[in-house]
Amino acid sequence: MRYLYVLAGITLLLLPSFALAGDNTPTPPPATMVTTNKLGPERIGNLPPVPVPPSNPQTSQKILLGKQLYFDTRLSKDNTISCASCHSPSMGWSDAGPTSSGINKQLGGRRSPPVSNSAYNPLQFWDGRAPSLEEQAKGPIQNPIEMGNTHLVMLRTVQDIPGYADEFKHAFGESNLTIDQVADAIAAFERTVVTTDSPFDRYVKGDISALTSQEKKGLEIFNGKGHCTTCHWGGNLSDGRFHNLGAPQTGPLKEDNGRYDVTKDPQDQGKFKTPTIRDVALRAPYLHSGSDKTLEDVVEFYNKGGGKGVSSLDPMMVPLGLSKSEVKALVAFMTRAMTSLNPEVANVKPIPPSDLPK
Amino acid sequence: MKKLCIFILIIAGWQFLVPETGHSIPAFARKYGYNCNMCHTSFTKLNDYGQRIRDNGYQLPGQEGGEKNVFDTPPPIAIRTTTGISVYNVDKGTTTGFDIMGLDLLAAGVLHKNISFMFIYTPRIDEPAADFSGPGNGTNPSQLGALESANLVFSNIVPGALNLRVGRFEPAYHPISSKRSYYISEPYEIYTFTSPSDTLLPSNNFIFDDNQLGVEMTGHFRNGFKYGAGVVNGNGANPDNNTNKDFYLNLFQTFGKGDGQSAGQRIGAFAYYGWQPTSIPSPSDFVVAPTGEANCSCNKPFYRLGGDVSLNWKTFNLQALFMQGMDDKALNVFDTNKDYKFSGGFAELDWSGLWNNRLLASVLFNMVQPPSYDDSRTIKAYSALLRYYLGDWTAVNIALHAEFTHRETGKDDPFKENIFTALLDFDF
Ligand code: HEC
Ligand code: HEC
Repeated sequence: MRYLYVLAGITLLLLPSFALAGDNTPTPPPATMVTTNKLGPERIGNLPPVPVPPSNPQTSQKILLGKQLYFDTRLSKDNTISCASCHSPSMGWSDAGPTSSGINKQLGGRRSPPVSNSAYNPLQFWDGRAPSLEEQAKGPIQNPIEMGNTHLVMLRTVQDIPGYADEFKHAFGESNLTIDQVADAIAAFERTVVTTDSPFDRYVKGDISALTSQEKKGLEIFNGKGHCTTCHWGGNLSDGRFHNLGAPQTGPLKEDNGRYDVTKDPQDQGKFKTPTIRDVALRAPYLHSGSDKTLEDVVEFYNKGGGKGVSSLDPMMVPLGLSKSEVKALVAFMTRAMTSLNPEVANVKPIPPSDLPK
Repeated sequence: MKKLCIFILIIAGWQFLVPETGHSIPAFARKYGYNCNMCHTSFTKLNDYGQRIRDNGYQLPGQEGGEKNVFDTPPPIAIRTTTGISVYNVDKGTTTGFDIMGLDLLAAGVLHKNISFMFIYTPRIDEPAADFSGPGNGTNPSQLGALESANLVFSNIVPGALNLRVGRFEPAYHPISSKRSYYISEPYEIYTFTSPSDTLLPSNNFIFDDNQLGVEMTGHFRNGFKYGAGVVNGNGANPDNNTNKDFYLNLFQTFGKGDGQSAGQRIGAFAYYGWQPTSIPSPSDFVVAPTGEANCSCNKPFYRLGGDVSLNWKTFNLQALFMQGMDDKALNVFDTNKDYKFSGGFAELDWSGLWNNRLLASVLFNMVQPPSYDDSRTIKAYSALLRYYLGDWTAVNIALHAEFTHRETGKDDPFKENIFTALLDFDF
């Protein structure tokens, strides 16, 4: 047994004490580090600076260009759909749902996740099939039920708009327009859609009056009896990992294998990425197929220990025994306390077609 | 004492003022930045989630390897103290005491994916005296210096189906843990009951819920089945140097969601077969029972068999255990021709109330039925408990605790004791 004493002793002596400094590091971590983040003494709150991949540094020209592309329906096959159709700033950067409809009113199988703070996701999409925002942005354009276009046709369209051709040249210094440039620009814009200033953030920074007493109770339950921080942890209140909660499957898809479709690992059956809780109240309905109408519904779902009869339910899902007032407190916490006050994000208005490059 | 109170107040005040700085905490909560109720219904009792982490070698289930190990995190050290007054009353009168009733130093964590450790040391507490007869001048410490736990867990050797624990640990056959019970004083009478001791004759001094030195296999399956099986040195004689091993097996089945701790239902059965050393063989054949070393030829067997349930409804939890014990006739000071057989158990009803389980109320009934020729050791005990938690901070918690036990020993004209304890239970 002596080696255990020794081990404990060494542990005591060698380890740096209470090193929580990482939270305030001024330089953004490289994007690759985000995926290797390990669960540790990680508080909720305190968003670190947005991780920016070295291959796509932020520039103001790129960001502006990306914003224009984001709101431009001309990227779609029939000029009806833009990214903002399904990720609207006025709907918490999501859509009315429950699942999204694309060109020709075709209905998709999954709920539109928020673009806000998606820059913090180690992997994109509910099933994590895109490793970066850049890769993600290429998807919808040629998804037949979203924007229904092809990259080639879209590029030709954009190239033929002189205003865009100019801007691309400025932003990338090349005259040959590529899909990577389009994706880089959109991703650069998305990295500015970051909400860092909710009442919760103010509370974390020391403004105790920023939360009502009910919201404080909600926070306590969120990080305690509710077990929510087990998965909704870190600055963006998401572990970026995949879990099977047994969420009901509604909408056009009869079955959704989630992460399994990407990894083909049977253990990943029915797992979906943990979404952020930031600004969650702005984007009902909830869960991957929009099955839950309100936050109360979601909390009641957790209170029962998740879905019924799911063999691969996440082992961290257990019934919570929350009382009515505890449910209310949790909902209160997720509603006002988690809704951001960032004017630069909250006030983003769709760019009217008349203001887009001609 | 004054210093401790001031210290407690400062720490508590600090938590109120700076809600996000509480990083001095019980080891696991500190590691994750969680509040206590993440893993405890209210500390000290584990909820289903905490139970699953424990079953998984102190790793979040499903996240093995995805969390920081002890080398990446602040030292995973925690302290628990219980300090307060106790009032002890019998026919002859009443005594009161103001004591540190317990002090645990705890370190635990993950060393590497699926390898973790647990270490608990209880320092000796001499002052004030533990018993109710006044200061003992250090001869009757209220707590012995002891290495309560020091073990390594190798989890998921077969995922979910086989974990291995080696060292000194709390064995799995001990289904309703007295270590994580809300009650401060030894709450479950049957766990400590054995055939009576005698200074001249060998007797059994096995304590069912004391930690054990050995090796244990456990598994927990998706369908709610759990098992534990172990080979240990026993804790009655000289546990560190016993060549004659004890064996145990326990089986659980849980129903519904949850592990039966705070949700779902659980039933279990356990069996323990042990050997109590009675003497060393030569040169003289004298009795060494309490401290002696084992020799197979003069070890005598004993067993404990039983079943247990844990039922949950809303925030009520009913736990009950029934146990039968047998100590070999050689350990029976009344009649060395007869095995000493006894039975008993307990039922405990816990209720967690107010928001976030701030208030905890519990009642507990204990019963021990010795053989008829020893019915003066019949025990009936009735306990009640109230705990109020001052908060649920990140890995710091303070509970105000009041506990009362009325205990009757003997059958016809029982000896009656009343014990009241009010204390501050402080974990950080
Ligand atoms: C027709 C509706 C629709 C359109 C148009 C659309 N999206 Fe999406 N978006 C979705 C849906 C639905 C998902 C989730 C799909 C999945 O996980 O399989 C999604 C996922 C995402 C994600 C991942 C977020 C996360 O948390 O994983 C990002 C980022 C994103 N979209 C950005 C864009 C951009 C940029 C555009 C424009 C190029 C765009 N979307 C166009 C519906 C749409
Ligand atoms: C085991 C990990 C886990 C735990 C514990 C957990 N969540 Fe979630 N949460 C997820 C995942 C994964 C999803 C998406 C699941 C899906 O759609 O199938 C999700 C979705 C949500 C959503 C919907 C968000 C959206 O944009 O649709 C809310 C709200 C939410 N969780 C709140 C909570 C609360 C409150 C708790 C505690 C009571 C909690 N979560 C506990 C993993 C978890």
